[in-house]
Amino acid sequence: MNNTIRLFIALALFSLTVSGCRSTVATTTEVVAIQLNAVPTAPNDAAWDEVPEHPAKLLLQDLVEPRLMKASTAEVRVRAITNGNEVAFRLEWDDKSKDDLPGPARFMDACAVQVPAKLEANVPDPQMGGQGKTVEITYWRADWQAAVDGRPDSLKEIYPNASIDGYPFEAKSLEKGSAAQTEMATRYAPARALGNRRVGPREAPVEDLIADGPGSLSPAPPAGSKAKGVKSDNGWSVVITRKLPNGLAPGARTQVAFAVWEGAQQETGARKMRTGWVPLLMKGAETK
Amino acid sequence: MARVHNWQLGREMSYWYPESRPNKQFAAVFDTNKCIACQTCTLACKTTWTSGVGQEYMLWNNVETKPYGFYPLAWDLKLLEMLDGQKWSEKEYEGQKLHTYEGQTIFESAPAGERVLGWRPEDIDYAYPNVGEDDCAGQVDGGASFSLQHMAQHMAWFYYLARICNHCTYPACLAACPRGSIYKRPEDGIVLVDQGRCRGYQECVKGCPYKKVFFNAMTGTSEKCIACFPKIEQGIQPQCFENCIGKIRLAGFINTPDKAQADNPIDYLVHIRKVALPLFPQLGLEPNVYYIPPIHVPHSFTKQMFGPGVDDAVKTYRNAPNDPDLQGLLALFGSSEQMMTRWRRQGDFVSGMRDDGSEAVRVPIKEPVHVRQPYDRLYQITRTNCP
Repeated sequence: MNNTIRLFIALALFSLTVSGCRSTVATTTEVVAIQLNAVPTAPNDAAWDEVPEHPAKLLLQDLVEPRLMKASTAEVRVRAITNGNEVAFRLEWDDKSKDDLPGPARFMDACAVQVPAKLEANVPDPQMGGQGKTVEITYWRADWQAAVDGRPDSLKEIYPNASIDGYPFEAKSLEKGSAAQTEMATRYAPARALGNRRVGPREAPVEDLIADGPGSLSPAPPAGSKAKGVKSDNGWSVVITRKLPNGLAPGARTQVAFAVWEGAQQETGARKMRTGWVPLLMKGAETK
Repeated sequence: MARVHNWQLGREMSYWYPESRPNKQFAAVFDTNKCIACQTCTLACKTTWTSGVGQEYMLWNNVETKPYGFYPLAWDLKLLEMLDGQKWSEKEYEGQKLHTYEGQTIFESAPAGERVLGWRPEDIDYAYPNVGEDDCAGQVDGGASFSLQHMAQHMAWFYYLARICNHCTYPACLAACPRGSIYKRPEDGIVLVDQGRCRGYQECVKGCPYKKVFFNAMTGTSEKCIACFPKIEQGIQPQCFENCIGKIRLAGFINTPDKAQADNPIDYLVHIRKVALPLFPQLGLEPNVYYIPPIHVPHSFTKQMFGPGVDDAVKTYRNAPNDPDLQGLLALFGSSEQMMTRWRRQGDFVSGMRDDGSEAVRVPIKEPVHVRQPYDRLYQITRTNCP
């Protein structure tokens, strides 16, 4: 193949890529975090318009049981902005259905950002890390977003016609808001008693986690991560903001991986669409 | 997958983890012939454990009418359809019938990407806990009435099936959990969901063929029967046993058949007399709640539900009036709230003993009968006995 043909093919592919995008934004083969003074928290902030986009192909999680056997979400479009202390990732993917009501056999739309806990040449396994090779995960979920946006944490939100005779903690003998009433309510919610973060009320729609391999996901000390997810007719747009990965300075590189769960396809836990490691370049102010 | 031994199948089978039997295994015998579906067990459990927000639909203990009752809907039929029938072979060894399961368990027939063959009920499937209640098989028309099996012309029958978690030796919920949030206690074999570790993936709900793990939408975790372990730790039987007014239940601990003890009431009924049988043994979980099958139901139905030992179990049970030991042990059911891990019969009395050998209760095998005269001379009043 001579150089002229090579150039022709490259130009043709480039024009195809551009015409396939929703806007004329530049796409990159890695995630490039642009440095600004402030990281935008809203998915529709105008600052995102100036940031290049990395279209990350999603793969089936088909390495460990339970596997996802049928592919769903094909791609997540990622943009990143940093202010030198925090990095915000905007994840966008196509999804016709909004799945944010929990219940038996009902699963939530969700997404996550994963980075290695340590900056080192030998990166952890992209599939949840490995022993001694910890990964940090920031996980966002649609029902938590709904709760943070003001949906009451109540059974009536899930089952509007539910009729409930009463609960032990509503007994007349228990003063409202008293310690005794809280104790009675906690007695029938062991997950709450144990401080499981599945239980509301929650302040952020996002959770900081660490993992040392599949099945080892555990809560990380709260790192102040934030998120905001907005659903349009076409799909989700979610901004996840976390502190800069350990040891990562502007101008440096690390790896990042993404995962998307499509609730309507019963995706949960290990049943997900995910990427391998994608290079992440933190642009410094001087490199802007 | 590891290879483990399942004595209920009479063979080795595949399981996600290697064989690791607890030091003691909680077990129970339910006599289906005595159950009247009063649901006192259901309510005892409900008020004790599942009165919280998000637990409204949960019945860790339920009683359903077979053949048309299910909670959740069609829990057993759906899986039986997914499994390729059930085939048992039989051979004689030293006068004993040995049965071997020749079909596939839910572990062996797990599809690619799955640890267990299962399905997940939706919320609507839990919405009718009383479906099929008191509906009998066959038709009762043309002046016919509900009848027992010996009246073969009217094959109308039903029976009540009380169900709790089976605290299986090979729990499918435990195998299905991708993050090890479910564990089997080494001290008593009780299977628990760690409420601190569970992330609500509902893989256990999908995996448990008995559908005895429930997702709590308000805590985001899955919850299940805990065999009232705080009571068992104090030597007291669980709530659904203690409150059973039909006295159909007996809780205890079971040994493997090679270590069966005649003075252990569960061993005696399950291993020695073989009158109590596991629920759907062909699924491969080695469930630890054993049922004395209903005597009036066609065996084609009960064999599918309790395995190939049904014919002999029914025969043995029907002969209980001429069998003082069996009759005696059955009299111990519901006679005390205490765990009776040993028993003995002395003449017309039967005793239940605690772990340390001390007597917990002593009851007559046959209660004395008092016939009250209609006219009470003491109070000079006539009382009418209702028929």
